[in-house]
Amino acid sequence: MGDPIFLIGLGGILALDGTSVGQFMISRPLVAGTLTGWALGDPYLGLLIGGLIELYFIPVFPVGGADFPEGGPPTLVAVAAAFGVPGAGGIALGVTLGLLWCRLAALSNRLLRKVNGTLVPDPSRAPVTSRRIVGAHLACMAMDFCRGGILTALGLVAARWAAGSLPDIWPLTPSWTLGLLILGASLPAGAFVRSLGGWRKRGVLFAAGAGGFLIGSILL
Amino acid sequence: MNPVNRMGRWGCVSTFLRTFLIQGSWNRRTMLGAGFGFSILPTLRQVYREDPGGFKEAVGRHSEHFNAHPYLANLALGAVCRMEKDGKDSEEIRRFKLAVRGPLGSLGDSLVWAGWRPAVVLAALGLALMGASPGLTVLFFLSVYNLGHLLLRIGGFAVGLERGSQVGDTLRKLALPLQADRLAGMGVFFLGGVLGLVIGRGWAFGVHVLPWAALVASGLILGSRLGQGSWRWILWSVSGLCGAIFLFGWLG
Repeated sequence: MGDPIFLIGLGGILALDGTSVGQFMISRPLVAGTLTGWALGDPYLGLLIGGLIELYFIPVFPVGGADFPEGGPPTLVAVAAAFGVPGAGGIALGVTLGLLWCRLAALSNRLLRKVNGTLVPDPSRAPVTSRRIVGAHLACMAMDFCRGGILTALGLVAARWAAGSLPDIWPLTPSWTLGLLILGASLPAGAFVRSLGGWRKRGVLFAAGAGGFLIGSILL
Repeated sequence: MNPVNRMGRWGCVSTFLRTFLIQGSWNRRTMLGAGFGFSILPTLRQVYREDPGGFKEAVGRHSEHFNAHPYLANLALGAVCRMEKDGKDSEEIRRFKLAVRGPLGSLGDSLVWAGWRPAVVLAALGLALMGASPGLTVLFFLSVYNLGHLLLRIGGFAVGLERGSQVGDTLRKLALPLQADRLAGMGVFFLGGVLGLVIGRGWAFGVHVLPWAALVASGLILGSRLGQGSWRWILWSVSGLCGAIFLFGWLG
């Protein structure tokens, strides 16, 4: 399952990219999955797991500080879990654990934000010094890094346990497994279309994309 | 004189670089407030070099509640840097921050989170489905996405510095809501493209795609009925279903 210290460090960095630092989107499931796949020796499996989880994330926008699932460390955990079980069972286990960890990550993020609120100075209560602002700001970022690392470490333990407990019991074939997961991803895809204006406004564009790329892929 | 020269090149660059950390202490009480105060510190040090009392008061003022999209917050930050340098009244600066935070938040959300990001990520997924290597897929996504990202950050900060409190006129000329609508359309087009490619790939591998395509179409319709807030329910349902299948396999 790769070097755990490296993976935990990567999880911390992915957590930072999610909100605190830069938001260059290395924490998107597509990127985080592929990076983890590289680290573990199979970027194609990483891309597959990351791409599947990415489809579930399409309608999620962190609008106005709303609660949202986190993609980075959970995708890392998902790919690590998929490496532990061969074949379609690995893909199913990876995506399942990844989606569960997304919820856990969202809860930990909410908790972190509460703690951040107690750390940052309140100008309405006492004078704020530049040292206080810098100290609180850096402490919050350090906590976010640790949160990502802990989340990843717990996920790796869960992935190792699951891989050891659930080998070769997934009854579905690879095509059924992928079909099922893509069918699941069609729900958030529909929600995405609705949030951008609905089928009446966007249906023609959707159909053009689907038809064009389908015909193109069959012809080529 | 150029506002960058007047503010001190280092103060300006340092403030800009700190904006990459503006969400570092995001919290429900002051939201981006502490990050805004953290980012603007180098500029305030330049402006209030000979006025420690004014510096302290300005640090407190800029650490108050503020929220905006993290990329477009640069526009407000640049404008506030300019206003501070021009010696504008603190109440005028506070009013400006109050006035821009809502529009910069909603504009950034629709332009980036709902427009640019899904469009580019779906285009990258389409590229992967067409056979691109993992490296090319990730490189495509990160380079194209961050081109827009950095353009917004750098351009926003530069426009804010240049125009000060008049940034609203520039925003109106850019017609960003129209661009957001176009990007949303692009995102939906690529979503259709990704699903079309998935069906096409299934066909190529000899899978009976028609029943799957019908199921996915039903899923799309159901998803659009459930709406955006259904993601929690969907994540639980899919992971629960996979867990049930594992249990079924384990039992027999």
